[in-house]
Amino acid sequence: MKKFVTGLLLIGFIVAGAGAPASYAGEIDILLQKLVEKGVLTAGEAQQIGTETKEQVKAEIAKGTSSSLPAWVQNIKMKGDFRVRYQLDHAKPADTTGATSDRNRGRVRLRMGWDSKVNDKIMVGAGIATGTTDVTSYDAARSNNQSFGNAFAKKALVLDYAYAKYTPVSWASLMAGKMKYLPWRPTDVMIDNDITPEGAVVQLAKKLNDRVNLFLDGMAFVLSETEPSTHNAMAYATQGGLEYQITDNLSLKSALSYYDFSNVKGRALDGSEGTNTKSVGSGATGLNKYGFRIINPAVEFGIKNPFKAISNATGLSAIDIEKLSFFGEYYDNLAASDKNKGFAAGMGFGNEKVDDWGKWQMQYVYSMLAKDSVLDTLPDSDRYAGKTGIKGHKVSLQYGLGKNTWLQFAGFRFENINQIGTNRRAPTTVFQADWNMKF
Amino acid sequence: MKLAKLITLGTMILGIALPCYAEKIVVEGSTTVLPIAQKAAEVFMNNNAGADISVRGGGSGVGIASLIDGTCDIADSSRPIKDTELDKAVTNGRTIKATVIAMDGICVIVHPSNGVNALSKKQIKSIFTGAISNWNQVGGPDEKIVVLSRDSSSGTFEAFGALVLDGAKVRSDALMQASNQAIASTVAQTSGAIGYVGLGYVTSAVKAVDVDGVKASKETVLTNKYPVGRPLFMYTNGAPQDLAKQFIDYILSPEGQKLVEEEGFVGLK
Repeated sequence: MKKFVTGLLLIGFIVAGAGAPASYAGEIDILLQKLVEKGVLTAGEAQQIGTETKEQVKAEIAKGTSSSLPAWVQNIKMKGDFRVRYQLDHAKPADTTGATSDRNRGRVRLRMGWDSKVNDKIMVGAGIATGTTDVTSYDAARSNNQSFGNAFAKKALVLDYAYAKYTPVSWASLMAGKMKYLPWRPTDVMIDNDITPEGAVVQLAKKLNDRVNLFLDGMAFVLSETEPSTHNAMAYATQGGLEYQITDNLSLKSALSYYDFSNVKGRALDGSEGTNTKSVGSGATGLNKYGFRIINPAVEFGIKNPFKAISNATGLSAIDIEKLSFFGEYYDNLAASDKNKGFAAGMGFGNEKVDDWGKWQMQYVYSMLAKDSVLDTLPDSDRYAGKTGIKGHKVSLQYGLGKNTWLQFAGFRFENINQIGTNRRAPTTVFQADWNMKF
Repeated sequence: MKLAKLITLGTMILGIALPCYAEKIVVEGSTTVLPIAQKAAEVFMNNNAGADISVRGGGSGVGIASLIDGTCDIADSSRPIKDTELDKAVTNGRTIKATVIAMDGICVIVHPSNGVNALSKKQIKSIFTGAISNWNQVGGPDEKIVVLSRDSSSGTFEAFGALVLDGAKVRSDALMQASNQAIASTVAQTSGAIGYVGLGYVTSAVKAVDVDGVKASKETVLTNKYPVGRPLFMYTNGAPQDLAKQFIDYILSPEGQKLVEEEGFVGLK
């Protein structure tokens, strides 16, 4: 007992003096081992002291009472990702007299962010990334890539997102700021994944039972701010949906969204590709002829281990994939009279997560966006530079190289829906090879 | 005089009644710790009239959730409490205190007729994740491997997943069992089966294989030589008090630790 108390006091001095952060766990283990070797403690007593000390530190950190670092520092979680890309853009001209153009680029993307717990109900998130603030380019909102070139000129870092989230109860939250948030959709055809909208979102979630979750989001985003404020271009949207685990191997997720873009008719918006129909002028500076009120149903159906039985029966392990999914979504702009619809449909298969060596996923998506189906400041910038009035295919393959790193290969083949030149639809083929890392 | 007698008699009755006042605690959680808690509660209640200790299983996750919700007094757990659980405890105004009551080795068990006596951690991971499906791939008979596992509320599952599987998912056709006993019983009856249980559930009906060349024993678990060793916890809301403290102190006493070893686990003394 005396030796046990002696050992405990020694550990106590070290822990108190060092402030007992989790990083001193290794030193405590070494000391305990020495005490066992010296016969001060038994192996069992050492296990007890070491484990209980680590548990105590964990509990104090959770309460924010660990004396080694302020609670707000301990509550910060940092994360990020880095990508280096090779991209080939192969574009055929609209006219037979024009020349095919090839553009080869090396590109880099870095994103770093941190979440900090303000108190039990409020958190703040912020992130910086490579990018541009040139609002005349679609890259400002829809891309964080920076291309190699300009004689090694340094690349800009921009504020990617900064927002606060208030969660008064587990089933409701309010976010405000420039957010790392987008409504759920199975593809990024209508809204580019790199967009970080600015405004406020209310999220409600309800777990009906072990298999069904409901969600309802309401959002208000600022597209363009001007004086007087009654002329602000805004995006109001609401999305209601459900996640249904039909069986252990079958899942369904579906949502119905309604987007109301106010004050966009008769306006030219930043980041526009100029492909929506214009009433005055043309191109990116032309004024939109139509407003945008979009109905967007979406669904994704997933099957786990779809070929397990066949694989077991035949011994063909190669076909034993973890997940197969089918998805689709539809867009209908109620505010336009013609060329106002679009859709995307596809499938994916492979491992459930690409989180280790040899894990992989493949995906195919076919999409069509009519000229005025969606606002042309939003669509995925990899698909025909984010324009509307296009249709085409996307194929991608992700392959895991290890923990937190993977390769991605993607191919895009898109063209104008309508003939725009001499019997041509100006098709473009884009190939991307990425090496991704997250930390 | 009559009054004095009455007072004396009343005091005597009170003196007898107070120690017999029924204090009750609920102990809930890990099915690994369950036999220790049940046996200790039985002996403790025999020796302490009026003490009422209700013991139930359900899994480490269930016990910790009940402690956080205030529906049990002691949560048995065969894994450390998670950060997410600690956060929820703080939200609920609970201060979780851990007491280590024993050590355990998670044993990988096979049917006694299986010729395989030792496996590496890498082989065990490959078996449980589905990369290896036949015993002949690890030096055993030409027989399909039947994998048994536990559900996510099990601390044994959590500890096994962290120590052996490195977080990888168990193969989807693994047979899920609700307790250590269920796994041991199924392995004992299924020649191609493999499962994992606490050291206390290894009997002559099953065979525990060496892991990375080390056999699970008190010495190898306490000195961390056995690679799948783990502490067993009793968690309380704040430092244990009253009956909960007396019960935990009993388990940590030499008599209680002897009982721990009789149940097949590794005592701390």
